[in-house]
Amino acid sequence: MRVQLRDIIPGMLITILLLMALEIFSTALFPVIGGYKYRLPFNILVILFLGFKLETPFIGMMILMIQWLHSYFSVDGWAQGTLAGIFVCMIISYLRELIHFNSIWMTMLITQVFQLLYFLIVFGMFYLKNGDLTFLLGRFERFIPESIVISLLAPFLFFVLDKVWHAKEDSLIA
Amino acid sequence: MAINVFRNENQRYKAIINLIVLSVALISFSQQNEAVRQQSAFEGFLMDTLAPLQKALNSTHRAIVTVIDDYFLNVSAKRENRILKNQVDDLERKLFETEELKKENNRLKELMSFGQELQISSVLAQIVAWDSNSDFKIIRVNKGKADGVKLQSTVVTSEGLVGYVYRLSKHYSDILTILDSNTRVDGIIQRTRSHGIVEGVSQDKCIMKYVGRTEPVVLDDVILTSGLGNIFPKGIRVGVVSRIERESFGITQSLEVTPAVNFGQLEEVIILIGPENQTRRLEWEALDNSDDKDDDKTKPAVR
Repeated sequence: MRVQLRDIIPGMLITILLLMALEIFSTALFPVIGGYKYRLPFNILVILFLGFKLETPFIGMMILMIQWLHSYFSVDGWAQGTLAGIFVCMIISYLRELIHFNSIWMTMLITQVFQLLYFLIVFGMFYLKNGDLTFLLGRFERFIPESIVISLLAPFLFFVLDKVWHAKEDSLIA
Repeated sequence: MAINVFRNENQRYKAIINLIVLSVALISFSQQNEAVRQQSAFEGFLMDTLAPLQKALNSTHRAIVTVIDDYFLNVSAKRENRILKNQVDDLERKLFETEELKKENNRLKELMSFGQELQISSVLAQIVAWDSNSDFKIIRVNKGKADGVKLQSTVVTSEGLVGYVYRLSKHYSDILTILDSNTRVDGIIQRTRSHGIVEGVSQDKCIMKYVGRTEPVVLDDVILTSGLGNIFPKGIRVGVVSRIERESFGITQSLEVTPAVNFGQLEEVIILIGPENQTRRLEWEALDNSDDKDDDKTKPAVR
C-alpha cells in the first residue's frame, strides 16, 4: 500500500499530463475526424486504473483531481464523476482478491464490467436529480460504443500507466 | 466493547478521506443547477491555458484538410463552379426581393412607431473544441471576455440559432447549444404564431413542448425565437417541424424539431453582443426589487 504522499505525487503529475493530452485529443480532434456523436471518456479509464492498481488512502483525493481536470474540458463538472469514481473504487477494494487480469481479453472484460457499474451509478444519480428516463436511454445508447472503445484501449493504456506508476510489482494485474 | 471496523490505521484514513470528498462532491452535485457557469479568476486562467492546446490541434487538422481539399480533391471543381454560379444568380434574385421586403418592413414599423431597432454588434468566432462528455452539447470558441463576449450572449450562424454563452474566460467561451437538454428556448411557429418551449433531446434533434393540441401545426413549419425569456432576440430561426405527436387526449402536442443549423459541420459562429444584456440585467433587477417589495407588504407589522 502506498501511504506516503511522495509515492503518489510524481505518478499523479504524469497521469494528469497524460490525461490532459488524451482529453485534448478527445475534444479537439476526435469530433472532427468523424467522432462527432461520441466522446471517449478517458477520465473513467484512469479512475478505474487507480482503483485496480493502487491501494492508497488518498484514492478519493486522486479521483477528485482527475475529475477536476476533466471539468475544464466538460461542463459535466467534477462532482458527479467523483461520487461515481469513489463508489466504484470502494467496490473494487472489496472485490480485489477476485479480480485477476491474466490476459488482454480479461482486462477488456473487467474494464467493461466496471464501466457499466460506473454508468449505472451516474445513471442513478442523474435519475434521482432530474427524473428524466428518455434522456438516460439516449445516454445508454451512446455509452455502449464509447465504453467498448475504452475497453479495447484499456490494455494499452494500462500498460503505459503501469510504467508511470511502477505498478507491476505491487499489483494484481498480470 | 468497541468493535474495530478497520483493519489498520491506513484503512481508517482512507475511509475518512473518502467520506470528506464524497460529502463535498454530493453538496456540489446537488447545487449544480445554474443557467450559466461563473468562473473564478484561477479557473478562467486554467481554461485560457488549456484551450490554446485544443485550438492548436484543431487548427493543425484544418490545415491538413485544407491542403487535401485544395490540391488533391480539385477534380470536380469546374462542374461545382457552374452549379454555384447558378446558385449565386438565384440568391441575388432572392436578395433583391428581401431588400424590398426590408424596406417595406421599415416603413411599416415607422408608421406604427414600433420602436428603434436594437443595435447589436457581433463577433465572429471559430470552434476549437467540443465538450469532453457526449451527454453535453457544448462547443468551445476562441472568443472571450477580451473580445466583448458576455455570459448569456446569443450565438447564431447564417442558418439560425446555435445557443448561448454558458461559461466564459478571458479568451475563450463555452456555448450551450440548443441540442443540449439543459437549454430551453421560447419558440414561436412562424405560420400559426403558436408558442412553445424548444428543448434539446439528442445529437441532432430538439422537441417543442407545450404547443396547444388544437394548433394546426404541419410538417416543415418554421420555428423562430419568440424573444420571451430574455435571452434570445426575437425572430431567429430555430428549426423546422419534422414530426408531430398529437394524442387523442391531453391539452398539448409534442413536436420534433430539426435544427436549422447543421451542428455536425459547424466551424464558425457569430456571437451577438449588444445593449440587450444591460437591459436584461436591469429588467431582472427591477423584477427582484418588485419581489422584495411584495414580500415586505405581505410581512405582518411588528410592534
